[in-house]
Amino acid sequence: MKRPGIKFYRRSCQILTALAFILIPYLNHLQISLLYGNFLAFKCGPLPLADPLAVLQIILKNNYWATDLLIGAAIALIIAATLGTVFCSWICPFGLLSELTHRRQTQTQSRRKGFPLKFTIFALGIVGFLIFSTTPILNQLSLPAWYSRIFQVWFEQKHISLALAVLIALPILESLMGRRIWCRYICPQAVLLTLTKQLNPRRLKVTFTPGSCTCKGHSPCADTCHLDLNPRRFKTFPETECTNCGDCITTCKNYGKALGFGFGPAKRPSAKASKTPKPPRTH
Amino acid sequence: MKPSPESSSASPGGFLRPPGARPEKEFLARCLQCGQCAQVCIFDCISMGIGFNFFQSGTPRINPHKAPCFLCMRCSQACPSDALEDVPIEKVRMGHAVLDRNKCYTWKQELFCRSCYERCPIKSTAMELDWGEFPIITDQCAGCGVCEHVCPAKAITTIPTRYVNP
Repeated sequence: MKRPGIKFYRRSCQILTALAFILIPYLNHLQISLLYGNFLAFKCGPLPLADPLAVLQIILKNNYWATDLLIGAAIALIIAATLGTVFCSWICPFGLLSELTHRRQTQTQSRRKGFPLKFTIFALGIVGFLIFSTTPILNQLSLPAWYSRIFQVWFEQKHISLALAVLIALPILESLMGRRIWCRYICPQAVLLTLTKQLNPRRLKVTFTPGSCTCKGHSPCADTCHLDLNPRRFKTFPETECTNCGDCITTCKNYGKALGFGFGPAKRPSAKASKTPKPPRTH
Repeated sequence: MKPSPESSSASPGGFLRPPGARPEKEFLARCLQCGQCAQVCIFDCISMGIGFNFFQSGTPRINPHKAPCFLCMRCSQACPSDALEDVPIEKVRMGHAVLDRNKCYTWKQELFCRSCYERCPIKSTAMELDWGEFPIITDQCAGCGVCEHVCPAKAITTIPTRYVNP
């Protein structure tokens, strides 16, 4: 029997998370409150988890340092620093919806960096909250939080939120444009995670061994990437936006097995590569 | 937002904040909208703000007419950002209950009823019995709305002092 690949584990993880946030409000409704909260702040028994961006907003606005929130945010940031932005590809339920409706473009489009726009929204949101707003407005842009809130409201109040329509319409809209716009250009929640992972150069990354690459002229790994990244060009193209989903690695297994996961700098020279130095191919 | 005791039950869209809530502006600045308070409430009296109002959606509220708060304070203990402070129940001020003596069975001397007194979460502080018999609401009333909820004569009205108009 074929061993399940990375993608199987990733999908299971995503689907289980998505189902868990339907089940948890239902259990809470039945007075079973071992786990409660949503993607902004969650309590898993004694263990707190929190969205680092939400915590940052609370701290900046109120100068309030709650231990629970700090621990929760620290856990999220430590995961980001060691494993990269795996939240986006392994956990986020909106990422799942977005991926499932994603229509792959046969022609690779010109890739623009999404991070600057994301960062602008992030900075504007924080400044706006500090100066004008009374509520942490960036929380309202958190689609995973909206996802979990829909079910919280559904079971607790018997109210089906209109946000459900938005959450369904948005991935469809994205698929029509074909570029996973929200995740790449807007989502401010990923900004802090991305900034944190940059601090650790020895985090989990997709590594490329140029010597093992057998693909000439075409690049199945880049074609399979949801975010239109090319894992073979991480030298020239910084992998800030890679979420370590591992789809390129799964694809590469059918070819030269040149891609893999590894801790450390992306351009780690392997023995093979140093013997026959080949420039990373562009297509 | 300043308290508006007059516009209390007159505005059907208004609501109370859960017990221990900080002053409205500070409350909103701290509230993470995580819904933990609503999920730990065993009386299902806390609901989360719905709709696309950026400033209110996801924040907790109590409608005392639908379900009163029993001051169990689970919500304030659960609140991760302390938007709901875990204060002793004597210090909670959600509103103030008013007793209409012309409707109350005991005051009318029709029946010996102590429903409100028996159910008051801070009885003998917030509610006293005059002559050992007639219920009186004191200044210590937290405004939780339980007495209003249990009164068979519908003689009690809770007037929220921290009523928030959306």
